[in-house]
Amino acid sequence: MYSNIACFLSCCALLLSLGSCEKPEQDFFDGFGKKPVYVSLAELQDIRNEAPRPIQLSGTIFLKDTLLFILEQRKGIHVFNLKDSLNTVNLAFLKIPAITDFVVSGNLIYADSWKDLVVIDISNLQQISETARITNVITPALYPLLYNGYFECADESKGAIIDWEDATLENAKCVTIN
Amino acid sequence: MKKVLFTTFLALLLVACSKDAAFETNPGKSGSITRFAVFQNNMYVLNLNEVQTYDITQKDRPVLVHRLPTDYGLETITIYDNTIFLGSTTALYILDISNPAAPVIQSKSDRLSDIGFSGCDPVVVKGNYAFSTIKVIQNICGNASTQSALVVYDITNKSAPVTLGVYPLDIPNGLGYKDNYLFICDEGIDRLRIFDITDPAMLTEYPQTVSITDPYDLIIDGQKMIVSSKTDFQIFDISDIVQIKKLGQISK
Repeated sequence: MYSNIACFLSCCALLLSLGSCEKPEQDFFDGFGKKPVYVSLAELQDIRNEAPRPIQLSGTIFLKDTLLFILEQRKGIHVFNLKDSLNTVNLAFLKIPAITDFVVSGNLIYADSWKDLVVIDISNLQQISETARITNVITPALYPLLYNGYFECADESKGAIIDWEDATLENAKCVTIN
Repeated sequence: MKKVLFTTFLALLLVACSKDAAFETNPGKSGSITRFAVFQNNMYVLNLNEVQTYDITQKDRPVLVHRLPTDYGLETITIYDNTIFLGSTTALYILDISNPAAPVIQSKSDRLSDIGFSGCDPVVVKGNYAFSTIKVIQNICGNASTQSALVVYDITNKSAPVTLGVYPLDIPNGLGYKDNYLFICDEGIDRLRIFDITDPAMLTEYPQTVSITDPYDLIIDGQKMIVSSKTDFQIFDISDIVQIKKLGQISK
């Protein structure tokens, strides 16, 4: 967030100095943009297996033996078996709400989930379970990733953000410039 | 009977041991773009402006034991030769982990001032050299008047890295190497680019490339390379750089 704001300010400072920046005409924006999708903090603990699914927006990748773990932004982790390169198998989807990164170590996954660090036992990939949770140690992004433009500002009192959806905005005050 | 039982027991023991050994020697590996890393009994997590160290001596009970303040914009972590390398939007950090429970900043190389804004800055390290891609991101005011690039650092002196070279790229993402071949995901031209890094002071780019839509990150595993994009992955045989063969892809 801060780097984005810093980027925004320095961008405009630079471009104003170059005289080529189209400064937004208004401070509040009406029109097409993004708004947060919230889940309650209780729902963050809903860590479990779901049916394997296609990748929508990937992130961190991790290879352990023949297993390839691929992050699904804010949703969970896909697990593929690459034992046969010609015929890879989509093995599992591990639902971890609000996840943005992870690492695999032994039979455990360490991941972020909103403001928490969670430990997940994957000894049985088809029946995962949370083994530990350290609350309030991570600072989550309060803006849509990989997006340039206006968005409805995050309101943390509404819960954890698990997605950003397209929306028609009224009086939007937040903007990102990645 | 006793002899048979003993032999069976011995065989089981051997199987158990070899399994454990394999387990220990193959911790797995991440791509070049991640904010989590495990080293011995510690796990490091990059938060916005700090490096968190968790003690994982008891694997399933991590304990936050140290927080190292940095500037904002930490994006990637990699550990090589008992040293942590961090890519941030503004700098390459090198952290000493002689005491793994409490990393110490050994150096911070700010980007060349003329490189400008950056976004995604993964780092890989080989011997005394670090290779980092810098992505200059398009913004609503137009492109910054600078170029995305691959930057090569001489890190012989980890307290004072020296920039050895800057090579223009389009929209680079993750990277990785096998022997003296450096592979870089270039989303801008939808290709995997290959550089010869035999002479780190003067890289040459191979004419061979691999065509992939929006490549994001890669993992090199022996003679195989896995390349991810936003919605899929592909597997390549890279035993012969001149003839890289696609082996497989995501199962739909």
